[in-house]
Amino acid sequence: MFTEAYMQRAIAAAIILGPVCALLGVFVTARRLSFFSDTIAHGALAGVAIGIWMGLTDLTLPMILFSLSVAVAMIWLKENTDLLTDSIMALLLSGSVALGILILSLVRGNRGELHSYLFGDLLAIEWKDVAIAAVLLLVVLFGLWRWLTPITLMTVNEDLAKVSSVNVRALNYAFVLLLTITVALSIRLLGIVLVTSLLVIPPAIARPLSLNLRHQIIISIIAGFLSCFGGTVLSWQLNVPCGATIVLTCVGLFVVALITSKFRQRSSQPYS
Amino acid sequence: MNPFEPFPSLKTADKCGCGHQHSARVNETTKAIPVVEVVQGQIAFDGTPVLRGVNLRIPAGEIVALIGPNGSGKTTLLRSILGLQRLDEGEIRLFGTQDLPSVMSRVGYVPQRLSLDRSFPLSVREFLALRLKRTRFWFWQTHRKIEEEIRPTLIEMGVEALLDKPIGRLSGGQLQRVLIAFSLLEKPDLLLLDEPTAGVDTPGEQSFYEMIGRVQQQHKLTVVLVSHDLSMVYRHASWVYALNGVICCEGTPEQVMNADSLKQAYGIHVAPYQHHHHVH
Repeated sequence: MFTEAYMQRAIAAAIILGPVCALLGVFVTARRLSFFSDTIAHGALAGVAIGIWMGLTDLTLPMILFSLSVAVAMIWLKENTDLLTDSIMALLLSGSVALGILILSLVRGNRGELHSYLFGDLLAIEWKDVAIAAVLLLVVLFGLWRWLTPITLMTVNEDLAKVSSVNVRALNYAFVLLLTITVALSIRLLGIVLVTSLLVIPPAIARPLSLNLRHQIIISIIAGFLSCFGGTVLSWQLNVPCGATIVLTCVGLFVVALITSKFRQRSSQPYS
Repeated sequence: MNPFEPFPSLKTADKCGCGHQHSARVNETTKAIPVVEVVQGQIAFDGTPVLRGVNLRIPAGEIVALIGPNGSGKTTLLRSILGLQRLDEGEIRLFGTQDLPSVMSRVGYVPQRLSLDRSFPLSVREFLALRLKRTRFWFWQTHRKIEEEIRPTLIEMGVEALLDKPIGRLSGGQLQRVLIAFSLLEKPDLLLLDEPTAGVDTPGEQSFYEMIGRVQQQHKLTVVLVSHDLSMVYRHASWVYALNGVICCEGTPEQVMNADSLKQAYGIHVAPYQHHHHVH
């Protein structure tokens, strides 16, 4: 299995993107940005469609660019209109998907490629994607080291962060930029439909097992690593779709974490 | 000398129309730079004026209460002082400067509540570590190292026992103590509190205000608090501003909190409730 070049690329991408998604996911879930991530992911479909329509062989760039446009549109609409956040996200999500479907219907063929973007495909990952993911990992690790305190403070209360001299606006934009690139890259592995689960489930696995935020970050990163590595290997061995296997591995770990925490709670309760 | 030297325009004018010229009681001028100064502050939201020419001047070392009915602009004024809300017209000076970000390290802020998911597992220890430069790399530091830095404040605020508790699980009173401890860590000169006792029961309120008084004395702080609890303000504040778009009245609690002044600010008859202590 590990001698196959495509598997080497897939496993390399999986063990990089799993922990990155899990780490960002701690703050995505705490700041209630899960639906935001889902909108970015669905925005990528229009990017893929535009790339295919333009005859591009490399679809990563149009996918990232269109996802970024959706993210910027979301922030702009939130800051400049009275629309509810949910309405803005639903508008952009359905608009992007509709645009993608319309463009793809005008382009003949490529049904297989579309399927791989929707549900993830091991064979679709190239060394270039792994290289971008590795750079992303370094950026996220540097960000964790340098800006963990202001991001945490911003998560607790934005006003408190501003009064503590945190540039909340700049940090918000930087976070959204990192999140968008991470989501767009992870689509290759998990697919548009399932990518948000890698942001949401690892932090959910960590929560019942964590006594503090440090625990949650560490456990979440480990869960992201295990589910992506385990899911990719299982998907090869069972010859089933990669994205679905990763997500189900994640869900399995979540069930184990939940049962463990319930047992721990019960055993720590004093006898009456 | 009256530290709350009024603005010239207020010296002779009875802004509240309640019959008292509270601001005119002393004619001396003070040369001390006020900690907070708002001059003709105006803010409107969607064309609706919220602050309509607010003037206030808060000297060092006082506990000042901003009172007024809902929608009177108390929180908007507090947010403006913190630089979180820009004035449409007018000026704000903190410690004599209009460059508010440059003096924010001297300001502590206690918000009414946190916009936090209750299950977010940030512990009190981690939260307090966010405040200090020495503990900004808390993720990589030991618990002991963090505790060494925050211990005196923990003991002072009586929150040592809460160190490992997630802040999302604290009661209203516990959270306020932790938020004040957070502010005190950077040794501020000015502490601003927005409805600090909302969600706290009456005995908790009493001990909270006593604690604010103690902290203010010990740290020689200037405290500005927005409050809806007139009886607590009556007992614990040294100066009161009654706000309703404009400063209706200002003065000592005894001066401001009479029926006429409060009716002017609140529009209806209200009075501070006196808690009677029964001896059993």
